[in-house]
Amino acid sequence: MAAQRQASSASQTPHLSPAELSYLYTSLSLPKTPIRPDGRSTTQFRPLTAESNILPGTNGSARIGFADGTQAVVGVKAEVEKTTVAADTLDARGLFQQQESPAAAAGDREAQEGLGSAAVSGHGSWVQMSIEIPGFRDDDALPVFLSEMLRESLVGAVSGSGGEDMAGGLKGRLVINKRWHWRLYIDVLLLSQPLSYPLPLLSLTTHLALLSTKLPKLKSQGEEDPLFDDDWAAAQYLYPRSAPGSTAPVTTSQQVRPPVTLLVISVADNVIFDPTREEIAVADAVLAISVARDGGHDGLKLLSIRTIDPPSRLTQPGVPNSENVNMLANATSVDDSAAGGATAVNLATGDEEVSGVWRPRRGGAKRSVLARMVKTVLRKGGVGEEVLEGLEGVEVE
Amino acid sequence: MKSLRRDVSSNPQAANVTSKVFVRSTKSGKVQKIVRELYLRQDIPCSSKLCSLCPSIAPADANGNIAPFILSDRPAGTKAFPRGHYLVPDTNALLNGMDLFEHTGAFYDVIILQTVLEELKNQSLPLYNRLLALIKTDEKRFYLFFNEFRLETHVRRGPDESINDRNDRAVRTVASWYGEHLRESSKNGKKEKAVPAIVVITDDRDSLRKAKDEHITALSLADYVAGLEDPGRLLDMISESKEARDAKGAARGELFYPEYYTMSKLMTGLRAGNLHQGVFNVSPYNYLEGSVNVAAFDKPLLILGRDNSNRAIAGDVVVVEVLPKDQWKTPSTKIVDEEAVTQNDNPDTEETEAVVTDRERKALQEEVKKAHGKGAEGKPQPTAKVVGVIKRSWRQYVGHVDPNSTGSQSASGRRQQMVFLLPMDKRVPKIRVRTRQASDLLDQRILVTIDSWDRNSRYPTGHFIRSLGELETKGAETEALLLEYDVQYKPFPKSVLDCLPSEGHDWKVPASKEHKGWRGRRDLRDLLICSIDPPGCQDIDDALHARLLPNGNFEVGVHIADVSHFVKPNNAMNLEASVRGTTVYLVDKRIDMLPSLLGTDLCSLKPYVERYAFSVLWEVTPNAEIVSSDFTKSVIRSREAFSYEQAQLRIDDSSKNDELTQSMRHLLHFSKVLRQKRMDAGALNLASPEVRIETDSDEVGDPLTDVKTKAMLETNSLVEEFMLLANITVASRIYESFSQTALLRRHATPPPQNFEDLSSQLSKKRGMELDVSSSGALANSLDRCVDPKNPFFNTLVRILATRCMTSAEYFCAGAHSESEFRHYGLASPIYTHFTSPIRRYADLLVHRQLASAIGYEGEDGHAVIEGVSTRNKLEDICRNINYRHRNAQFAGRASIEYYVGQALKARGEKMAAGGVDAGIDEEGYVMRVFENGIVVFVPRFGIEGVVRLEDFVLPGESGACSVAERRELAAHRTTEFDSEEYTLHVAEKGHPEKERGVIVELFQKLRVNVSSVKEEGRGAGKRRVRILVTGA
Repeated sequence: MAAQRQASSASQTPHLSPAELSYLYTSLSLPKTPIRPDGRSTTQFRPLTAESNILPGTNGSARIGFADGTQAVVGVKAEVEKTTVAADTLDARGLFQQQESPAAAAGDREAQEGLGSAAVSGHGSWVQMSIEIPGFRDDDALPVFLSEMLRESLVGAVSGSGGEDMAGGLKGRLVINKRWHWRLYIDVLLLSQPLSYPLPLLSLTTHLALLSTKLPKLKSQGEEDPLFDDDWAAAQYLYPRSAPGSTAPVTTSQQVRPPVTLLVISVADNVIFDPTREEIAVADAVLAISVARDGGHDGLKLLSIRTIDPPSRLTQPGVPNSENVNMLANATSVDDSAAGGATAVNLATGDEEVSGVWRPRRGGAKRSVLARMVKTVLRKGGVGEEVLEGLEGVEVE
Repeated sequence: MKSLRRDVSSNPQAANVTSKVFVRSTKSGKVQKIVRELYLRQDIPCSSKLCSLCPSIAPADANGNIAPFILSDRPAGTKAFPRGHYLVPDTNALLNGMDLFEHTGAFYDVIILQTVLEELKNQSLPLYNRLLALIKTDEKRFYLFFNEFRLETHVRRGPDESINDRNDRAVRTVASWYGEHLRESSKNGKKEKAVPAIVVITDDRDSLRKAKDEHITALSLADYVAGLEDPGRLLDMISESKEARDAKGAARGELFYPEYYTMSKLMTGLRAGNLHQGVFNVSPYNYLEGSVNVAAFDKPLLILGRDNSNRAIAGDVVVVEVLPKDQWKTPSTKIVDEEAVTQNDNPDTEETEAVVTDRERKALQEEVKKAHGKGAEGKPQPTAKVVGVIKRSWRQYVGHVDPNSTGSQSASGRRQQMVFLLPMDKRVPKIRVRTRQASDLLDQRILVTIDSWDRNSRYPTGHFIRSLGELETKGAETEALLLEYDVQYKPFPKSVLDCLPSEGHDWKVPASKEHKGWRGRRDLRDLLICSIDPPGCQDIDDALHARLLPNGNFEVGVHIADVSHFVKPNNAMNLEASVRGTTVYLVDKRIDMLPSLLGTDLCSLKPYVERYAFSVLWEVTPNAEIVSSDFTKSVIRSREAFSYEQAQLRIDDSSKNDELTQSMRHLLHFSKVLRQKRMDAGALNLASPEVRIETDSDEVGDPLTDVKTKAMLETNSLVEEFMLLANITVASRIYESFSQTALLRRHATPPPQNFEDLSSQLSKKRGMELDVSSSGALANSLDRCVDPKNPFFNTLVRILATRCMTSAEYFCAGAHSESEFRHYGLASPIYTHFTSPIRRYADLLVHRQLASAIGYEGEDGHAVIEGVSTRNKLEDICRNINYRHRNAQFAGRASIEYYVGQALKARGEKMAAGGVDAGIDEEGYVMRVFENGIVVFVPRFGIEGVVRLEDFVLPGESGACSVAERRELAAHRTTEFDSEEYTLHVAEKGHPEKERGVIVELFQKLRVNVSSVKEEGRGAGKRRVRILVTGA
């Protein structure tokens, strides 16, 4: 039962004593200049190694290894599938006849986009994701929860009603025509033990794999049964990229990028990115923030924020001297005023805070802190862009 | 954030491992990315006898032998390459010039790259197969070099490099490697040898330029050929290249035909059911009318006119779209010949041509008029247009150059010009051929092939392959016929002859029963077995016997030549036989399926000698009830080989009472009972217009006496009944053992609508009903179709009824459900062919299956598994033998037709008085009535011919006019055609007297005059048999 709970929570709590936890917390919560155990700044990421297209049999794949030794491999496979819903509603015969007159084809295209938006906008179930984490069954809470979190931001994130927003969503890209679509299988494999909460690693790897994903080039037109070019070199990126070295203006669709989910924690008033396992263990709140670059405007778009059950609530509390029976026995003369002065009500724990004594966090963060977290991610030149640019830099071919 | 990429280049293994990536679309609609790893090696030899390095590195087989090197050490030189040269053609060179590469005068020592072979396979399967055959033959010295697997010649596709560019680069890489390699190896060698030039043959301009930059010798096909001897003839054999055609098309920019739909559109349409796929057939009477049988409808869809047939040629697998109802028409009632309508086309002046000439258009309009005419027969039928071609079945066509198309300058020698080739097959449009030897080709039978049919050309474009000889010479005509029906007539290659028993004609059944040949064989040498065949038969497949058993029943045996003993699976002889499929009988020639040592000697159940046989033995009651049947391999000794007549005489001769005659009488008795049983079960007695030709009669007499209609003697049917019985018995036995893979033969029940026309014609003209509900009912109603005044009428109806039926086919048991096994004509629930293994491959397979089914092990114990085959393989074989079987029949008929024509000609020359062939008067019967002619069947010669307007001899006219004179008459003739009553009234235009006309109607008996005339136009050289109607 304990293991189960632990698994669903952000990660296994490291075996730190209450005193160590308290020390860590205190240094991380220093106003303005928190001190992280590895000396990073709050927005600094640990170095990582990344490569893409490592599995030749897949449509796209990537591997990322974090400095702490965690590694993940993601493979993306695509398959053509008949769109069943649309086939019912559309009369294939009518469609075919429509195509008869090539002159009307251009007009048709626009009309088609207006019609049958279900078929055009795609369906969430077209993306299937499976996550494998060593030591976990595939129906354990952690893999299920993780895969849903990743899939949700991929598929549903950009689901506005306008055609413009459609460009960013993955499912919209999977539409071939009204009767056919691609089905995407994203297989995520964590190669190492989940030392820290694997969400950011998996999300980044998935992002990279999708960036490198290519689909065979379509040769047929309109509503015909799809027929593809058998030359793999002619295959097209699922997320089109601007050719390196070309000076052609970047089109909207070329800017669109799949989402990434970043893990952010707050410690007191500080916002810390890319937390290590130890840092998570003392976090007041753990948030998964999904962002994507949308074609519509220049900046990033916030897709979702999820709070994650902070493992810090499962830690053992420290016992203040005032309550320590052993201590009480021989040190009753400890000055009350010192203890009393340090006592304050901590928001996160709801308990009286005794300086230097660890109290398990109860979660929750101030509104202003949350706002700051989002802002740091989305800001132009902020963390989100940095991450995306970094991943973009990974050579795809 | 920093990202790193693993460095692959440091991996020492990476250089010889690479991969090939492509997208594969499966039939079920799956689209897969396929990655194949390639392991590059350095032990693939260059196979040049000059090379001193490769023999040491070439991989050896299990016996330590390396494959013999192919490329000559003294390759032929040309003016440009005096030290000899090896050729390295690219794919386009092979596509455009395969006939050249097959030519025996040049093109030796050719290096075929794996890359090129694979590319060719994707582009044209027939050419690929021809190239493979070339590589297999030793004399042409074609070497297949696996360049993709050799480390030095493997070429990785660069970024942004197209596949074509990459493949061209691969060709150049190989050329330069070969050059270097040979130079190096000859340097090592002791003696100084001249290194031959490596010549790349490519028509790609870009590749030629790059080759120049890389200092590789490269020539275009035409340039290379120009440097050979007799370039004119050779240049004709190059297909018109795509580039040249494109250039021409662009210059003219006129498009005559609509574009085909894209493949994906076709597929979508086919799946959705609004397009249909089928084989394009052309009416033999009207070249503008085609039809396509599609699965969705019972009746074929009509395709009228050039526009709608849209570049489809008879035999192509096409996709059609049904036209709107207002364009539906009736099938034509007119005879339209291409050469008559388009005689004046000029092959060179393409500017003026339209797809539908005015004359053609007029011909069509008249049909439409008729279609909108009256009632039942004139009911418009659905028409369709061709919107795509799935598979071209273009082959090589035999024909002759249309002399009108050669133009006036034909005498001016080697100038290249366009001529029309008129194929022998009337259903194939004329082919535009570019040639430099037009004047030489006149009056020759020539072989051409179609290269393309573009939208901007009214006729397909092809190129010359070779000349078969002068028109009307026996050699040329026979070869033409064999080519036209795709009969393999080349002598058996050495590899096949090597499979024959080494004893040759001295082979004998081993004397000692201990010999392994006797294993599993029953000794039936004491049985009184005899064979009954057509006179002069050399390949005796079958023999029979009957004897009384102690219990009062009879033992009847059918003994079939044991061909499977001599022809083992998986050797060259078996392969050759399976390709040939059947022996083809022409009037004066037999094209054997098996080498004649087997066919006419070792397998043939000749009398007085012991032979291996496969016997089927039955125990029957005196009433021909079958008690039991048994199968065994055996040794027999035939007592006598009878001809049908001899056998009949022997049976009828009451003075003979020896055992053999008695047993034949028993057999005859049983056959009659069996036949009656079969007829009661509903078997059809069908008729085909067969005549037999006995060529060995003396020269002085009337040549026509050789032409005999087949007489049916009782002994014919004796043999036939027992063969049927054996086939049926064997069929059920092998089906019992091999429920999926038994090779069977079926005759599908024809759909009733096939008989609609005949049925309505009969009821209208004769008031007779045709009941087609079952084969039995049909047999009965055919029996009732008798005209007391016209004894031939019944046969005529049977011939027509036969044509309404589907043809029988071989199939593999798993391909159909058991209820579909029925043989309609024989009214048997199951059937196969077992009794003629010498001349049919199917029977040979059935022999193997039966041997396996009865557990016969054979000499080496392998026979049990020899009969087992996979279904896929069998289905391929079935497809081939069905095709060969059909072609063999066509070829046989065409041969008889040709012979009859020649016989008539010979007679005409002998009897000719005053230079005009008087012809011969015969009886004829009207088979079909058209608006401008009739089809008449002449039973005496088993021929049918079209009678055009000018060939009606009206009362008061003399029949003895030359063809040219008669042709003039056509313009003066007027007709009234009644499609309801099937009558045609022919009269002279403007002639007041009604009686100067002739009225002919369907089934009518006519007096006709048959003569042979030299046909002009399409059938030239064939001696059209001209039929003049001299009186009703």
